[in-house]
Amino acid sequence: MKVVKLLILSGLSALAMGASHAADIRVGFGLDALTLDPGNHRSRETETIIRNMYDGLLTRDSKMQVVPELVTSWKQTDVTTYEFKLRPGVKFHSGDEMTSEDIKFTFDRLIKKDMIDGKSSPRAGLLGPLKEVVVVDKYTVLLKLEKPWAILPSMLPFQEVVSKAFVQKVGDKAMATQVNGTGPFKLVEWRRGDSITMERFAGYYGGSPAIPPVGPAKADRVIFKIIPENASRVAALLAGDVDIAAELPAHMIKQIESSRNAQVMKVRGTRSFFVALNNTKPPFNNPLIRRAANHALDKKLLLERVMQNAATPINGVLSPDAFGFEKDLPAYDYNPAKVKQLLTQAGFPNGIDVTLDVEGSFAEIAQAIGSVLTKSGIRTKVVVGEGTVLRNKWLQDKNKTGEMWLTSWGNGSLDPEDIFAPTLNTNDRGNSAGYSNLVVDGLLSAASTETNPTKRADLFSKAQRQVNADAPWIFLWVPEDIYGVSKRLKGWQPSADSRVNLHRAYIQ
Amino acid sequence: MNPGKLLERLLHLIPVMLGVSAIVFVMMLATPGDPVNIMLGEQQATPEQRQALRKDMGLDLPAPQRFVHFLQNAAVGNFGMSYFHRRPVIEVILERLPATIELTAASLFIGLVLAVPLGVLAAVRKNSWMDRLATVGSLLGISMPGFWFGLLLMLLFGVWMQVLPISGRSDLASQVPVVTQFLTVDALLAWNFTVLGSALRHLAMPALTLGLPMAAVLMRVTRASMLEVLQQDYVTFARAKGLTRRRVLFTHALKNALIPTVTMAALEVGSLLGGSMIVETVFGWPGLGRVVVESIFTRNYPLIQAAILLYALTYVLVNFMADLLYTQLNPRVRL
Repeated sequence: MKVVKLLILSGLSALAMGASHAADIRVGFGLDALTLDPGNHRSRETETIIRNMYDGLLTRDSKMQVVPELVTSWKQTDVTTYEFKLRPGVKFHSGDEMTSEDIKFTFDRLIKKDMIDGKSSPRAGLLGPLKEVVVVDKYTVLLKLEKPWAILPSMLPFQEVVSKAFVQKVGDKAMATQVNGTGPFKLVEWRRGDSITMERFAGYYGGSPAIPPVGPAKADRVIFKIIPENASRVAALLAGDVDIAAELPAHMIKQIESSRNAQVMKVRGTRSFFVALNNTKPPFNNPLIRRAANHALDKKLLLERVMQNAATPINGVLSPDAFGFEKDLPAYDYNPAKVKQLLTQAGFPNGIDVTLDVEGSFAEIAQAIGSVLTKSGIRTKVVVGEGTVLRNKWLQDKNKTGEMWLTSWGNGSLDPEDIFAPTLNTNDRGNSAGYSNLVVDGLLSAASTETNPTKRADLFSKAQRQVNADAPWIFLWVPEDIYGVSKRLKGWQPSADSRVNLHRAYIQ
Repeated sequence: MNPGKLLERLLHLIPVMLGVSAIVFVMMLATPGDPVNIMLGEQQATPEQRQALRKDMGLDLPAPQRFVHFLQNAAVGNFGMSYFHRRPVIEVILERLPATIELTAASLFIGLVLAVPLGVLAAVRKNSWMDRLATVGSLLGISMPGFWFGLLLMLLFGVWMQVLPISGRSDLASQVPVVTQFLTVDALLAWNFTVLGSALRHLAMPALTLGLPMAAVLMRVTRASMLEVLQQDYVTFARAKGLTRRRVLFTHALKNALIPTVTMAALEVGSLLGGSMIVETVFGWPGLGRVVVESIFTRNYPLIQAAILLYALTYVLVNFMADLLYTQLNPRVRL
């Protein structure tokens, strides 16, 4: 009987207790890391988590400018060579100093074949034509390219530096679960699918001087809690279980703003949304009808009601934050009369019937777009499909069968090279609309080898104007990334590249 | 029970496993989507890089050869490498399986503990207010979508009352040594009640979300079966003999009434394995269901293949145990 009483009492007291430490920052995150090896995955979410424990040569500040992190400076010595000067005195969590040997090892592991446990790194493609890394001295390396690649500095923030000695000691397999980086936090525990706990690394070199304050992390510990469901993440934020709830949909903004202990923080993302129109067959092979479709969209209404004003309208493919963004692109105004006129001119006075493909998570936006278009005579039926199947249909199939596809393309480097060419160059990997304009192809090709930034921007400007006139898509917007943040959290701002770097964050 | 019979039943497993493997393999072949494209996403890759990835995934071989390799490896317990985790599939699955088993076991427990007494009570006091209430309750339980029910529980206990944690398995797991990988059991073995309390608090809402609808179904079955059994001649005879109500009920009637319940429970375990995916997503429970669905979307073939084999195996074994249980409940039933 006494044992029973003891059990009940302990149980009750245990039920009443909480769990975390006051100076911990907890992040409600949607996906677990696939692995903790910075070189062996292709997942943005995995990188976001890893980036708190591993630093890179370069990183981005809150304005998305590329700034030095583990290097003190870099310069381009010739068309295909970049020289990087490393910061001396940077320590790995194990206490070893970082030298150019570690840089060479890191990049060899990424770009050479079969370097990770007999397999190649899936991140090789992010380094483009990078051919080799040469060690000049203890703190100087050269990165050599096969051919000129203007965006190398923009792409380097995606890679993190590993310790040669550590990888050779523990082996590639162990790199999936053990961490030895130069980042502000070191790994405490990874409970798969549940949470990743990190604690402050006292020997941190301080971080990029371009992003003050410099010094060790302010928080004692950071815990990434894996909460896949949006509603659950918001519930956790409102209950005080997490301090940051990442990646929330627009319709939850009101709920968070009306709470006492949390607020909404937004940042313009790097993903451009558009409705790809099938330029290869009727009806959208006719430019008049494509322009009509753009005039039929009441963008202002959609932005207000469906996107809760958490998106920036665009008239082309580039985000306003991207290099070479042309701000004077003419907008297609909402004009039902003009739609009717254009459709009649094209031979369809009674309007047209089309289908709009979309994947599940954007079905509501598609429904809204469909109903607005229908009002102007472009009668739209929305068909929801699975993401991969739709990508196959629109990007792999030689004979494009669809009519419209609500989709997007990301531009994490914020450079047109990564979005303009893939989506609008003839037959390129992301050209879902089947758009083909040799003038645009020529401009983009010239821009990819042009080293003078002003000339490059001018080439992109001309290309944007041409695309705007041709209207291969219904141009939509760049949505903002929405975060719910506890009012007690200071020193943190969301970043356009979806990073959640907690180096300078703290709880008040 | 005859060891020969037992062996025979276990041997039946082999064609089932082969059949399931073949069906899953063909289904995945037929589904559009290429894991290499999914992995690379929008990023550029040279044909050499694509080919290297393809080779790493074993996709450069023709389909029949891949299937044979899979069977040969599976026979010795090697299920290949997960394309996206870049680690052995068996490792990824075994990391997440205990959490799903813990959740399934807790849900089954809640389901049976609620269903059997309530079902018996409802049958014995047929048409009373108790029976009517239980009926309404069970109809609600069957009709409510689990996803919605889970969110409601989370709102009530997690956000408004703040007595239960919103998500996850526990914040304190590192404080007890890992023995069985079932946190509740390990905490008990370590006699650490703080951790046990935390584990139970985290388990409560997910287990209720899965267990209550199951209790609803099982209650209906138990009630109907009990009603039927109570009409049987041998029950009337037992009463006529002068046995107490309790004796009649529990010694004679219940054992027979439970047979349909056991059948349903075994079938429900199958749906628990599948339904756990939704609950695991809503409550951030780190189980296998979530990994499997993520793997389906990313066409992570090795993991899907291994996980479905595992589900099939579990299903067959659970139903086999149900058959064994019948022989205990009703000696006239032969295996």
